[in-house]
Amino acid sequence: MAWKFDQPLYCLSDEQEQKETLELWEKEKHGGLWTANNRLPLPLTYLIALIILTAFLVTMPIWGQRPNAAIYEGIVANMDSAEVQRLATGEEKINFLFQQAMATADSRLKGDLERHPLAWDDLLNIAPGIKELQAGGGKYPLDNYNVLGDRISLANFEGNFVEGGFRERKQPWFDKGMGIDMFYVAYFVIVMVLLIKKLPHYSRKPAMNKS
Amino acid sequence: MGFQQYRFGAAAIGLMFGFSMCITLLGPSNDFRSGVSTWVGLDKQLSLGRVIGFSYEDPLVIGDGKPVTVILDKDPKTGATYDPPIRAYVYEPGIKFSPGVNHNELLGPGVMELSLNTGKIGQADMSNGAVFTIAQGEFNGEEVDYIVNQTAVSGWQPGQVLKAAGDENHRYVGKGKTIFITEGCWWCHTLLPEQTQDWQFFGAPPFLGDMNGEMPTAFGSDRKAPDLLHVAARNSSREWMTMHFFNPRLVQPNSIMPRFDYLWGKTDINGKSIDYKKWRSDYTAYVNGQSIYPPEVPEPARDSEVRALMDWVLTSLR
Amino acid sequence: MLMKYLFAKNDEIPAGSATIFFGFSSIFWFVVGTGLGSFNAAKLAFPDWVTGTELFAFGHMRQVHVLAVILGWISMAFGMTMMYMTPALGNTKLWSEKLGLWTVFMWNVGLSLGLILLWMGITAGREYSDLIWPIDLVVIFGVLLPLGINVWMTIAHRRTQGIYITNWFFGACIFMLMIVFLVGNSPELFNLTGLTEAYLTFWFAHNVLGLWITPVAAAIAYYTIPKLTGNPLYSHRIGHLHFWAIIAFYSTPASHHLMSAPLPEWLKSFASVEGVLILIPAVAFVANILLTMKGKWSMFVENIETKFSITGVLLAIPLNMQGGFQQTRAINWYVHGTGWIVAHAHLALLGMSSFLEAAAVYFGLQSVLRRKLYSLTLANLHYWFFIIGFCIYWISMTIAGLIQGAGKIYEVPYIDVVVAEHPYMIARWAGGTMVFTGNVIWLYNMWMTAREGTIVPAGRYAHELAYER
Repeated sequence: MAWKFDQPLYCLSDEQEQKETLELWEKEKHGGLWTANNRLPLPLTYLIALIILTAFLVTMPIWGQRPNAAIYEGIVANMDSAEVQRLATGEEKINFLFQQAMATADSRLKGDLERHPLAWDDLLNIAPGIKELQAGGGKYPLDNYNVLGDRISLANFEGNFVEGGFRERKQPWFDKGMGIDMFYVAYFVIVMVLLIKKLPHYSRKPAMNKS
Repeated sequence: MGFQQYRFGAAAIGLMFGFSMCITLLGPSNDFRSGVSTWVGLDKQLSLGRVIGFSYEDPLVIGDGKPVTVILDKDPKTGATYDPPIRAYVYEPGIKFSPGVNHNELLGPGVMELSLNTGKIGQADMSNGAVFTIAQGEFNGEEVDYIVNQTAVSGWQPGQVLKAAGDENHRYVGKGKTIFITEGCWWCHTLLPEQTQDWQFFGAPPFLGDMNGEMPTAFGSDRKAPDLLHVAARNSSREWMTMHFFNPRLVQPNSIMPRFDYLWGKTDINGKSIDYKKWRSDYTAYVNGQSIYPPEVPEPARDSEVRALMDWVLTSLR
Repeated sequence: MLMKYLFAKNDEIPAGSATIFFGFSSIFWFVVGTGLGSFNAAKLAFPDWVTGTELFAFGHMRQVHVLAVILGWISMAFGMTMMYMTPALGNTKLWSEKLGLWTVFMWNVGLSLGLILLWMGITAGREYSDLIWPIDLVVIFGVLLPLGINVWMTIAHRRTQGIYITNWFFGACIFMLMIVFLVGNSPELFNLTGLTEAYLTFWFAHNVLGLWITPVAAAIAYYTIPKLTGNPLYSHRIGHLHFWAIIAFYSTPASHHLMSAPLPEWLKSFASVEGVLILIPAVAFVANILLTMKGKWSMFVENIETKFSITGVLLAIPLNMQGGFQQTRAINWYVHGTGWIVAHAHLALLGMSSFLEAAAVYFGLQSVLRRKLYSLTLANLHYWFFIIGFCIYWISMTIAGLIQGAGKIYEVPYIDVVVAEHPYMIARWAGGTMVFTGNVIWLYNMWMTAREGTIVPAGRYAHELAYER
């Protein structure tokens, strides 16, 4: 395999090798089958680049982030306010709190709150726990916990390692898996380019349609 | 393309596949090893025994060679009462121990040291049998649960513990999970709550240390029915389960679950033979509105498969 | 007849015997497998239909259906194609016809034994690797190894210098499948436990699909389409891209099946990206085959084998678009564990893969028997029963899956989901039954072809001849 430094990616095979390959190619019929020497169609090459790009973009761990106990932070903060105290029933109170939280929430938080309604009684149960975690009273920060009905439970994610040798209990925005992917894809692309460039140049078409 | 290049190609296939296996198998194996068994994990492996499914001790997969979990409200030796009652895992002579007892590293750091030093699991001997319990201790400032070999620590003998507890406190958990596997319950009921919303309804998903030593885990992949991981926390009524297993449509008219009446075997708890034919025709009459009440569901015999299955559901799935 | 040849001298066994036995076995298992599928679907639609008997309970039948189809139909059809394509592509004879016949024999015996045990409930309790480990060892050393030796030796003894792409796939995939079987069943062999066991179960399930069922089916299309149309395969380069991308990207994303298990997050991130990259081999394969069809698209309508083959290739497009994206974190939480996945699995096995294999079995049996297909009408009936039944199944299960997904995230009581799904369960049963009916027709048609099909003169292909019926 000789590199041609002036034309590094034109073709990696030397003249002699190309000649032999093409002779072979024209002679062989593989039981009545042939393989043509067409190039990788350019749209296909673009499509592959697009797939690789998409693969990283759609799978970034920031997408599909799971809601955690932190989505109720605003609600817990306002639950003792005078407006809430004035309301009579728990249902009214919780509805008011949710409306208040939704008004200021961004679209993600809004969606999370919509799908995770909370009863006033449950809120009373979890509020002390959330306040304690907010103040740093737990082993992990608040967003490493989930709210399940009327209790708070640690999430089961085995995330990145953080200081102190603990694993984060939430999805990372980036982790070593993505790093391995980048290496893996780069290695695949380089190997494929070398391999394809080792084949005879696509402008050389053995006449295989004549039987 | 000479022949040599095909040899190179064959090597490249091996190399590439080996490389991908390194990432997908060797990589995570380090992470798995660091899993510290939780109470759930220890309870599961001690109550299930060495392996569920086809094995030397249970070639017909009917639940042979499994330990018995007993609920103890007093110490079988000293008579001191336990409040709340504790669980003891009784391995009669010849029953194979759960994986963590023989391969201590499966318990995870901390649990292994405590189980060996304080719990004396190293002294457990299969030919004499052993009784295990789970205790809580501290290792390097971390609270961990560990296994105690009560036969070595307190001198409990398997037969003695079984007798002291009485049959009503026996839980045939290992046999029950075997039934869960062979009857294919897990083709519809998963044991792995999905993420987020699902957790609110079906409870928290398992942690890394929740299944150390469990084989098979039987998570399932196709959920045609509710997840069962924490089912006993939602519904712990043995009466409801008895009716539901016998004919799910007795308690849930729209259910598509099959009837598992055949798990009752030939006789009921009083040794009376069960007349399935009559039951079914009575039930058909009830469905067609010819009678007001459905026929009575027979109470399962003590050694019936459905009793073991309910034991497993109510004891293990919390 | 099989018995007679098992102990005959290799030279006295007519060439192609292994192909014929493999071919008919595979069609037989297809009938059995889809029959069981239809039966199971009926039980889901009408739970009180056959009830109260242990052996006919859903939980005893479901895994028998799955493995009868994967190891019986699909894998035996692969064995069949290997028996005739590998030598044809090397201008040589099969290395050992006798070994081939022994492989069929062992395969049928081992599989029947394994399935009967599963049916009785003697199982390892691990999805897709349900077979107990002694049967696994039979599969690895009694079936895959002899099959592999036959294929590898035929390739080594070829009388061409080059190796055609179909044979790369055959040789490599048998090797990788053996490794996958050994590693995937190691929890049973060595009593590995806990999350290791769960992960290896799905490592196995993923790789059986990724390194056996889809690539070998694609390899078959690389043979049938150029052979039937007479066009050379469009590009050797795209073939390389497909082959190497399969090995690189299909062998890695196993953990995307367990997105809500406590696997390390980095492994899930890694697997998600690799999972989308599965689109690379898929795009390469589809492009290569469809470009090969250039100028011969009329055959898609006129020729039954091409019709089957191209349908399979076209189904690979939705298959991979679903497969690539449904495993990402952003989508997986909605569809995981629902009927959507069941629909997707059937799109892969009953859609893409089975259509490609059906084409190869049609073509191969006609070539080896040297008889023209008995009836085109029956073959067309088979095709339309198959495709319509499959579409009913696929669409109804996809809808059911979306219902389940919505029920899951909005915390609808599960029983309401069951009620809402019920019409689709009936549709699923109807679709599955249509596929089964089509296969019964196929078995009859193939049997009659062997007995009464028009004899194909030497030097001609069956598909070049006009139909007499």
